[in-house]
Amino acid sequence: MKIKPDSYMFEMIRTELTDAVGDANVDVKFADKFGHSIDYYWIPEMWHDRGRPCPQADFIVHPGSTEEVSRVMKIASQYKIPVVPWGGGSGSQGGALPVFGGIVLDMKRMNKYYGVDRDSYTVRCQTGIIARHLEWNCNKEGFSTMHLPASIACATIGGFLAHRGTGVLSTKYGKIEDMVMSLEVVTPKGEIIRTLPVPRHASGPDLTMLFLGSEGTLGVITEVTLKVHPQPESRQFRAYIFPDFHTAMQAGASLMRSRLGPCAMRLYDETETKTHVSKVFGIDLDKGAYLVFGFDGRKDIVNLQMKHAREIMEGQFHGKDLGAKGGEWWWENKYKFFYPGYMFHVPQAFGTLDTVADFAHIEKVYWAMKNVVNKEFPDARFIGHFSHWYEWGCMLYARFIFPGDKVPPDPREAAALYNAVWDKAIRAAIANGGVINEHHGVGLKLGRYVKDLYGSAMPVLQGIKKQLDPDGIMNPGKLGL
Amino acid sequence: MNISKYEEAIQNCRFCFMCRHLSAIGNVRFTEADTPRVRAAMLYGLRTGTNSFDDEDFVDALYRQDLSACCVHHCVNHFDENGLALAARADVVEAGKAPEAVKALAAEFSASASWKAAGKGDVAWFLDGTTAGDKDAVAAAKKLFAAANVAPKTITGGCIGKALKLLGFLPEAKAAAEKFAAFLAAEGVKTLVVSNPAAYDALTRDYADFGVKLPCKVLHVSQWILQAKLKFAKKPAAPVYPLADDFLRNYDGIDAPEKLLKALKAECRPFGTNDEETYNCGEGAVVLDRLHPELVEALAKYVAARADNPEKDTLAVASVYVKRALAKAGLKAVTLEELAASCL
Repeated sequence: MKIKPDSYMFEMIRTELTDAVGDANVDVKFADKFGHSIDYYWIPEMWHDRGRPCPQADFIVHPGSTEEVSRVMKIASQYKIPVVPWGGGSGSQGGALPVFGGIVLDMKRMNKYYGVDRDSYTVRCQTGIIARHLEWNCNKEGFSTMHLPASIACATIGGFLAHRGTGVLSTKYGKIEDMVMSLEVVTPKGEIIRTLPVPRHASGPDLTMLFLGSEGTLGVITEVTLKVHPQPESRQFRAYIFPDFHTAMQAGASLMRSRLGPCAMRLYDETETKTHVSKVFGIDLDKGAYLVFGFDGRKDIVNLQMKHAREIMEGQFHGKDLGAKGGEWWWENKYKFFYPGYMFHVPQAFGTLDTVADFAHIEKVYWAMKNVVNKEFPDARFIGHFSHWYEWGCMLYARFIFPGDKVPPDPREAAALYNAVWDKAIRAAIANGGVINEHHGVGLKLGRYVKDLYGSAMPVLQGIKKQLDPDGIMNPGKLGL
Repeated sequence: MNISKYEEAIQNCRFCFMCRHLSAIGNVRFTEADTPRVRAAMLYGLRTGTNSFDDEDFVDALYRQDLSACCVHHCVNHFDENGLALAARADVVEAGKAPEAVKALAAEFSASASWKAAGKGDVAWFLDGTTAGDKDAVAAAKKLFAAANVAPKTITGGCIGKALKLLGFLPEAKAAAEKFAAFLAAEGVKTLVVSNPAAYDALTRDYADFGVKLPCKVLHVSQWILQAKLKFAKKPAAPVYPLADDFLRNYDGIDAPEKLLKALKAECRPFGTNDEETYNCGEGAVVLDRLHPELVEALAKYVAARADNPEKDTLAVASVYVKRALAKAGLKAVTLEELAASCL
């Protein structure tokens, strides 16, 4: 629904929104609407690059409290206006794009930090707080959320909750859904609800988990209580080079099966080791696959964990030891990969084929995607690394990159090429036991695969949506709903 | 267009979110428009026709920027989004689209570009209008000069080009720079000590960009105090929370303020939650307090909310602009000169 700015209804709705959140917090001007029309998804970036305007919201609304969110939702519900929650806008799936106009609910004004509970080791905050700011606040109190993703500088905590984000220490501390104690949510009808205050209970299905990953389609998450951890006494890393990614994968899986409990692990395939790791670290890693892992906690225990991990890497798999320094390179530069100059950039066409699978399937998924991209799209380059490891499997951060001169100049043709890669690669991944995806979310980009993924469970998801949002105003067009 | 000199920043910043957390204005207005990403994207849109300086909101966003250069300091490649914004302001002015308030301010600064000198010798102290408005800072500087047995020639007067450059009036800024350089030459100044970091930055960086040669060496007052090797009889009476200066750290990369605090044996405590953000309330934009006083007030409140004890803490700052702005939120700040003078 687009509302004509010179219409009577536009002014009526604007007046009501102004009444709900204050005049200064309803923006209908150019600059902010423009800013909310492009996120980190390649399609709007490409459109912008080619001079094609991206869909804009009619109103940018900045609520300052849960009650104000509730008021906005009641207005939207009455007029059946789309509402798109927006955190930092750094999502790569188009999940926060106002493709049908309406209201963008920019949550960043809701950035209150309520401090660490030193009895329970939890922290409570509003969800519009930028993750880096939350982490800085916790650090000042001697704690950490241990949620340290590359987008920490720009994404809000609400954004991570909305699409089940993850950070570099996920192997020990889990994804965001493992860190949540409870949520406060405003439903599409404007009701304020709270989930149970503990994440472990036997009091029926877990409503917290229902809203995590719902990508703003079921309501607006306004407040969260998260687990926090004291800063560890010691955090040590070590890296190895293996002759090929298969051997490195076996070594990494063995480390996970050993239950030694690393805090992080990352494996780059031969291509990415050569082209990216070498560039970011400023060293020559011409051959082989780079594997890095770390442990944190009490120093004596970390020393022991590292000793046993080295036995696996060196004794069983004969990795070439790059030492602690080789591991620290990664830790110190973990975000550098994502800065311009190191990250891909339009006019290149690129995407992250985020897939997760168990150890029995992950290599098959990698090869299925790599083979299909190489075969069907010879102009594209395929690289991959395995960035979040669990006891049972890991996440494949596979990427395809077309050089700028191989991307059609026409925006429609460029989008068609882009979508075709996803179609082929994602379906190859699903057919080989992969799940899309691990932490980027579905958004606009992957919505068309959700039915394939959920199969006969899809009506359950649709039923939940219908119950909570009968008018379909919450972030329409996303999550395949 | 002037922005074409910053192609690298346009291309790289327009889709980058990595410094979002450091957008001072973005953090008090909660907007996307006030981030390096969106400013760069809007400026890219000029060439594709999606954006235009005809849109007042676009132009306003450019003139709201705090210009702390924290983003440049943070960026692993130091892409100069601040330089891009300044170039964009110059393009706005050249296109005749500058807001009336900006034009009025530029006319005021342009008219103010004249100076007077009092005293003798080839060492001069530039007492800019902002610093001159703070009698404690002025008295402290005088006490320091006296302790060093230096009686500098004191130069007072108006705009030496910085404010005009920041407003996008480049020819006027260059003219002011040329006039000031000629004034210094006529006065026989060989060493110029500068209190205001913005003036220091103008003289050391902007003048070089304009191709204006200075007849003298320029020292920020913190550099001069260190060089003077003053004897400090005592350390500061209370712990201080030093704030990294926008100009001295992010633009000029000088570490004299930190070295001075060390020389004073000051008990320094980390302010806020981090040392990346600017806490300088728009110092880098120099005239933000004139264009958007409400934003300076909001920025000061943001800083106050991060103080350990806003009513008692003493913040050490390099600029009277910052001291004055923080006072709006009830924060107590002292300049480096005041701190050093208190230790004599």
